[in-house]
Amino acid sequence: MSTQAHAADHHDHDHKPGFVKRWLFSTNHKDIGTLYLIFAMVGGTIGGFLSMGIRAELAEPGMQIFSNPHMFNVFSTAHGLIMIFFMIMPSLFGGFGNWFVPLMIGAPDMAFPRLNNVSFWLMPPALTLLIISLFVEGPSGMNGAGVGWTVYPPHSTSGHPGPAVDFAILALHLAGASSILSSINFITTIFNMRTPGMTLHKMPLFVWSMLVTAFLLLLAMPVLAGAITMLLTDRNFGTTFFDPAGGGDPVLFQHLFWFFGHPEVYVIILPGFGIVSQVISTFSKKPVFGYLPMAYAMVAIGAVGFVVWAHHMYTAGLSLDTQAYFLAATMVIAVPTGIKIFSWIATMWGGSVRFPTPMLFAIGFIVLFTLGGVTGVVLANPGIDRAFHDTVYVVAHFHYTMSIGALFTLFSGWYYWFPKMTGYMYNETLGKIHFWMLFIGVNVTFFPQHFSGMAGMARRQADYPDALAGWNMISTIGAWISIAAMAVFFFAMALAFVRKQKAGDNPWGVGATTLEWTVSSPPAFHAFEKLPKVK
Amino acid sequence: MSSPDPHSANSPQQASDARLQQKPARHGLVGLTLAGLVVSMLGLSYAAVPLYKMFCQVTGYAGTTQRAKAAPLKASKELITVRFDANVSRDLDWQFKPAQRSITLKIGEEKLAFYEATNTSDKPITGTATFNVTPAIAGSYFNKIACFCFTEQTLEPGETVQMPVSFFIDPDILTDSDSKDVKEITLSYTFFVVKNQKTTQIKKSNANGSL
Ligand code: HEM
Ligand SMILES: [Cu+2]
Repeated sequence: MSTQAHAADHHDHDHKPGFVKRWLFSTNHKDIGTLYLIFAMVGGTIGGFLSMGIRAELAEPGMQIFSNPHMFNVFSTAHGLIMIFFMIMPSLFGGFGNWFVPLMIGAPDMAFPRLNNVSFWLMPPALTLLIISLFVEGPSGMNGAGVGWTVYPPHSTSGHPGPAVDFAILALHLAGASSILSSINFITTIFNMRTPGMTLHKMPLFVWSMLVTAFLLLLAMPVLAGAITMLLTDRNFGTTFFDPAGGGDPVLFQHLFWFFGHPEVYVIILPGFGIVSQVISTFSKKPVFGYLPMAYAMVAIGAVGFVVWAHHMYTAGLSLDTQAYFLAATMVIAVPTGIKIFSWIATMWGGSVRFPTPMLFAIGFIVLFTLGGVTGVVLANPGIDRAFHDTVYVVAHFHYTMSIGALFTLFSGWYYWFPKMTGYMYNETLGKIHFWMLFIGVNVTFFPQHFSGMAGMARRQADYPDALAGWNMISTIGAWISIAAMAVFFFAMALAFVRKQKAGDNPWGVGATTLEWTVSSPPAFHAFEKLPKVK
Repeated sequence: MSSPDPHSANSPQQASDARLQQKPARHGLVGLTLAGLVVSMLGLSYAAVPLYKMFCQVTGYAGTTQRAKAAPLKASKELITVRFDANVSRDLDWQFKPAQRSITLKIGEEKLAFYEATNTSDKPITGTATFNVTPAIAGSYFNKIACFCFTEQTLEPGETVQMPVSFFIDPDILTDSDSKDVKEITLSYTFFVVKNQKTTQIKKSNANGSL
């Protein structure tokens, strides 16, 4: 990288191109990160609106806002797909990843800046296709794809003759291609562009988390692409991969989907693990307890994550031995997961701990995630899962882990890096109000779903027995509290941009030891023209 | 999101172009290797289709039955009951039912059972049947010697045919600790319309199987 020194020669080099060139043809990792974050806010707003539709329908027994149950399923399908592919992934992986991986390893930019631009600009068309799918015919005479985020055939083939499912599949193709390209970019950047002295075993845990996530995406996404391409040709070109009439088997789709799907849930949470590690270390003024075990626990979670997929298929007719294997393998994942939780707690233990908003969200995440992990271990038992599968108990499990769990890491990272990205300080009181309202809101929403799930409340159904009205009313109240919390969030952000209170290069003090805190806030358009030294 | 640029405009292009150019060859190497990984995973997902079929046939997974040339020479004294089940896909205008509800036979003994199918539509239709047994564990011990399900079947409008299946239960079922207590096996068929009727139409003489 000898050209680096040359670029630093003329020291007035921090120039930004004009608007169109800067944002549409952006090759700058921080600008692309910003684009991802804005995109994720748009996705999150649409996804949040859809979830309010779900809660409004489930507010009382009987049909409320939808004229037929299919529409309810269309809403929950779009809610799931948008939150996963167009909110959590673009923010944690695309947004924070692009912003902070190069900064944290002292690289001037990503390895393939133009590819980076392509990765981002695949996303808006993908979201557009998914939104179009809501308005075109799915089942005959009805609009939208009501197939669930898992898109199982035969409901997604013979059950949806209209083009809605095709649009949804193409949306996933584009989003998947985007993730694969970003992953290639991140891995190459992390392998090749670390500043001298930044060995793999000195990399911040956030960078480790991004490395493992990128590998998971690289290995899992093509399998999803394969599976949904088969689905597409089954639907349109007469192939019979999943159609028994031609010798195919719909259960094969489930295997392929979950071979992607389980690693995917870790794609969603691993960057959050990284963020929480940085935040807890910063506000405990201590390095993370057990750095290497923490890094390799993520590697282990990633690796074992590829051999547990059929725990989603206990009711699909697996043999006894197969169920026993998947039970055991699934339980094994709880071990590295437990290591991480203990290390976070041990990091705080004996540290001089402060509780600004990012730290509150990090600790809130640990509480939520531990709860979700426990229900996961319950569901790992085929005997129990036979009863709980496809009830809202599972919905509670995965919201505690990957939905609100990941959301809390997202807010933790957002408040932590907001001063770095914008140069402004947010209002700490509003941040704390946001945290407490959201923490209460999501728990009031999802905790009762353990009970209603155990009492037999099915997921993906628009109606339920009167006996379950009480739990559902509580969930609906929780959803309103969460919406109010989000209003506080947007107000706090608007206020920060109005007040423009300067944050300084490192607002968090000596605990913040990673390289991004050594550059200005916001960082120069081209930070690290001269490579920083790491001892 | 960033604040206005404090520096003066000098040559913005130069800095970012330098960045784009300083791409050592090893970037390309790593990038290509990773792309290769992506392509091979995509290939594997397609390879999973035949592998999955092979896996089910070899292991009797999910109640996939076995094919055999002949029954063993010696049958056991133990008795087992085979029940018969028939289903028709929504798109197929056929009636399809077993000719007998159940058969009780010695384990190892070869038996012949019949199903009856009627084309209730006014045009010839070719159908094909999928099959499995429950409990699934019995799949690897349920052997078919001949079956209408091995080939596609074409029925003329209004035509009714008897469809034979000859089978035996492998005596090894008694030595497997997971299956030795199985006293009753259900054999189930589901008939589907064959897609692309024209190209796959087969001779009616084949319809009665190869018995
Ligand atoms: C201790 C670790 C975990 C165990 C043992 C575990 C186990 C399970 C099991 C057995 C199921 C299937 C339930 C059913 O459908 O009947 C399940 C569903 C699910 N889990 Fe976990 N889980 C764990 C952690 C996680 C994490 C960390 C995430 C995400 C970050 C996650 C996300 C999901 C999702 C999204 C589903 C539902 C998928 C669907 O059917 O739509 N789980 N989990
Ligand atoms: Cu899983």
